[in-house]
Amino acid sequence: MKERQLVSCFLFVYLTLGVVHPLWASNSDWKAFAFPEVTGWKQSGEIQTFTPKTLFEYINGGADLYLTYDFQELKVAEYSNEKKASVTIEVYRHRTSIHAFGIYSQERLSDANFLDIGAQSYIEANVLNFVAGPYYVKINSFNTGPDDREILIAFAKKVSETLGERGALPSILSSFPEEGKKKNSEKFISKNFLGYSFLHSAFTADYSLSGTTFKLFVIESAEKGDCKDMIEKYLQRTRNPGQNISEGLFNISDPYHGEIDLCWKGEYIWGIFNAKDLALRSKYLRLFEEGLQKRK
Amino acid sequence: MGRKLVGRRDFMKSTLAGFGGLFFLPSIDKKQEMKMVEGKEKERKFVYRTLGKTGLKIPAINMGVMLTDNPNLIRTALDSGVLLLDTAHAYMGGRNEEVIGGVIKGRPRESYYIGSKVNLPQDRTTGLYMEGATTEEFLKKLDLSLKRLGVDYVDILYQHDVTRKESVAFEPVLKAFDKAKKDGKIRFTGISTHGNEPEVIHAATDSKAYDVILTAYNFKQKHYGEVRNAIAKASQAGVGIVGMKAIRGGYQQPPTVRNITASLKWILQDPNVHTVVPGFTTFEQMEIDLSVMEDLTLTEPEKMELQKEASLPSLYCQGCRECLGQCLAGLPIPDLMRAYMYTYGYRNLGHAQDLVLSLNLPDRVCEDCTSCPVKCSIGFNVSRKIRDVVRLREVPTEFIG
Repeated sequence: MKERQLVSCFLFVYLTLGVVHPLWASNSDWKAFAFPEVTGWKQSGEIQTFTPKTLFEYINGGADLYLTYDFQELKVAEYSNEKKASVTIEVYRHRTSIHAFGIYSQERLSDANFLDIGAQSYIEANVLNFVAGPYYVKINSFNTGPDDREILIAFAKKVSETLGERGALPSILSSFPEEGKKKNSEKFISKNFLGYSFLHSAFTADYSLSGTTFKLFVIESAEKGDCKDMIEKYLQRTRNPGQNISEGLFNISDPYHGEIDLCWKGEYIWGIFNAKDLALRSKYLRLFEEGLQKRK
Repeated sequence: MGRKLVGRRDFMKSTLAGFGGLFFLPSIDKKQEMKMVEGKEKERKFVYRTLGKTGLKIPAINMGVMLTDNPNLIRTALDSGVLLLDTAHAYMGGRNEEVIGGVIKGRPRESYYIGSKVNLPQDRTTGLYMEGATTEEFLKKLDLSLKRLGVDYVDILYQHDVTRKESVAFEPVLKAFDKAKKDGKIRFTGISTHGNEPEVIHAATDSKAYDVILTAYNFKQKHYGEVRNAIAKASQAGVGIVGMKAIRGGYQQPPTVRNITASLKWILQDPNVHTVVPGFTTFEQMEIDLSVMEDLTLTEPEKMELQKEASLPSLYCQGCRECLGQCLAGLPIPDLMRAYMYTYGYRNLGHAQDLVLSLNLPDRVCEDCTSCPVKCSIGFNVSRKIRDVVRLREVPTEFIG
């Protein structure tokens, strides 16, 4: 009975509105995706495909983190050349470009060497990773010798062209104040932000200013009510009762994270922690608000 | 890789009909040590066990760090009594070890233990090591891990993700272990496995090369009996046993077990399991995990719940894969049954639709056969469920996402 109700619900909405979303196209693109041919290299073995259920067979314990970023599918191809060098390309497809950025940001080392491929990319010895739209691409090389960098870049460019979309970093990142921001420290945490299940996802960035290091974050919600709900739960959890739950500034004494200042306005909660200086906290909350307003 | 398919008989062993006295062990080790631990807010009494011949006395529950980069969560876990942090060279592309390094900086080195893991290139099809899997490469990765962690040594270094007995005694890794031990970079050798575990555990025990085994072990494994026997043999030989996948992603959405507490207690009923390392990501989850250590006794309602959960094969496909090859059209039946489970079990329509769309199904599905030759081992009407779930192809994504 429940099954019927569920499907009836689908069909009702489908028949009533009768529209097709562009996301269908991206699914089709993915279906048509084929690993590129690269001069001097040939694909060895079959292309492997992994789903959320089977990802652990490929990356074992690391799979759990990918699943929290709405991982959908992975395709893997291996290439080799006459010099017995090999290159492995892994293309992870996530549900949204934000989730792809999220897992990419979790694995990115901020002091890496960045390149201009996809929305963002970096290279190290035997590794080149980039994010492009909903795809997180990881390229690993082996036995490539002094040509390693050139080889990795050549493969990355080919894969990027084949995926067909360069994508962009999440637009909300431009709202973070620039002053003192550590380059490439931005992250997307997909759930349980700060270790609390009621604070779902958040964007964060690290700052360093005159020897003080601190962190800024923003939570973007689908609706205002969600923000109120999160703040209410946060105040209850941290035993900070008595604060009026309306849009504005909140100071929270968090037993695990220390003093946290946060602001709520509309669908956004933004905040600062690890900063002791009141003036600095106030300044950055204001700068952040200006950034968010510009975004609108 | 020679993965074993699970036959109907084996499958039934894990259902209620097959429980007998095996599902629950008669009693937990009465000699286990309770230790007072000073937490941040209160003193608590936790169950401690000795990790085999390593002699390390550790709480029955420690922390798998792989899912979090929240330094305050790790810090709080250590302050609350956790002693062993489990990580790996590859987790978060190395950031996981870096985050731990930031947390332990300044703490007395003897106040915590670190278990990390290093892997070498493996053939994904055979599970065997490839050319280039060398001692030097292994040691290079270990050195990088030590640098990220900011320590001179790790307490346990595991050979990561082994699924074949041939890899257990892989000479380049054993040589690397010898050298690392001599150089004081590791205290104990370990091996981790979550595929073909019994074979790996037996081989590791027989090899006498390992001090610790980290293995997947939970009440939903169809072969938990084999894992249990292998663990018992290893433990008797003095090998320390660390359990993982005890709650099988129970903190994820959708959860894979219903009762986290009972699932943790279930694995710790086995006195041969010296500790488990669940990967909590919130303070609430941490508190649940720690509270289990105060009393490992499975209550009657918990037992009933576990039995019930383990005996629910008829709701969802159990992945026995006996149907493969039976469908005349070659449909990927286990995948379609999984999509059905996402739809009606987890109500995750997006996941279900994505899966259905990714399967490259023909336009007409289950419409051309007059009767279905597929005989499901648990009696599913496979064609009915397939016809039902493939309708998701017709629903625009934005109504679901």
